[in-house]
Amino acid sequence: MAPLKVGDKFPEGIDFEWAPVTDSDPTACGIPQVYHASQEFANKKVVLVSVPGAFTPGCQAFHIPPYLANLDKLTAKGVDQVVVIASNDSWVMNAWAKVNGVKGEQKVAFMSDTKSFFSKNHGWDAGMGDRNGRWAMIVEKDGKVSYAENEASPREVKVSGAEAILSRL
Amino acid sequence: MAPLKVGDKFPNDVQFEWAPITDPDPTACGMPQSYDASKEFQGKKVVLVSVPGAFTPGCQAYHVPPYLKNIDKLTEKGVDLVVVIGFNDAWVMSAWGKVNGVKGDSKVQFMSDTKSFFSKHHGWDAGMGDRNGRWAMIIEKDGTVSYAENEKSPREVTVSGADAILSRL
Repeated sequence: MAPLKVGDKFPEGIDFEWAPVTDSDPTACGIPQVYHASQEFANKKVVLVSVPGAFTPGCQAFHIPPYLANLDKLTAKGVDQVVVIASNDSWVMNAWAKVNGVKGEQKVAFMSDTKSFFSKNHGWDAGMGDRNGRWAMIVEKDGKVSYAENEASPREVKVSGAEAILSRL
Repeated sequence: MAPLKVGDKFPNDVQFEWAPITDPDPTACGMPQSYDASKEFQGKKVVLVSVPGAFTPGCQAYHVPPYLKNIDKLTEKGVDLVVVIGFNDAWVMSAWGKVNGVKGDSKVQFMSDTKSFFSKHHGWDAGMGDRNGRWAMIIEKDGTVSYAENEKSPREVTVSGADAILSRL
């Protein structure tokens, strides 16, 4: 299948897995559950960010913190939710979120793209070792993809970064 | 291949992957590198603990903390090193170590059993979803396995726990 492009509709039947953050202690495990993305995204403006791995250098150093630091700006521009996905399981994504200071009620959620399914079928994979690629999409309230860009190299953070997204909103 | 049993020699081609902890901040990424376990274990008494996953309920709540708490007792009984392995990649295992308060010079180190290779070939897998099983081994200074026990259910911590290991040292 081909990566989604501008004008496409976000597919039906897309599920991620996540363990919602209910407390701030990364050693307290969340309970993994299915997240019906196609349903949950309906009527919301969503920024979907894919990263090659939790706790890895590129993501941690340059990719995630700007999204967290700019949540208010993103919200001011109409974004309802930012979802960060990677191939790691939900427990790891939950812990990574907590370590980044994400709380339960924030507009950013860290989820598992189990076996990189969505990334492989509707996005881009990393081209190395069964990992998600580094890319970002904007999905509008009506399900239309208005932005879908993959990094030229998973080590860079340009077209998938918070700045690029903010300039497109 | 069959799981190692008491009296067997630890195989001579075992590699794990790890990102040594160089600073306590879990958002600072370590550098993954190969760990030649067969070589590193020579001349040391090692407790090898396998868990189904980093940050998951069983491991976090009941399995790992007792090893950390009892490291002095383990050392008194002649243990040189405790290695905790999971299928998660080296970055995740390193972060999990840090979140548990492990420092670079700790006698407990967290490593990746990449693709559950060692667990599948010389130990036990979880029987669910490509994960390591929950088991523990004691490897003596001469490479002989003196203890190798697998939990009946990965949800329990009995024969692979710190108490069981301490009573066998």
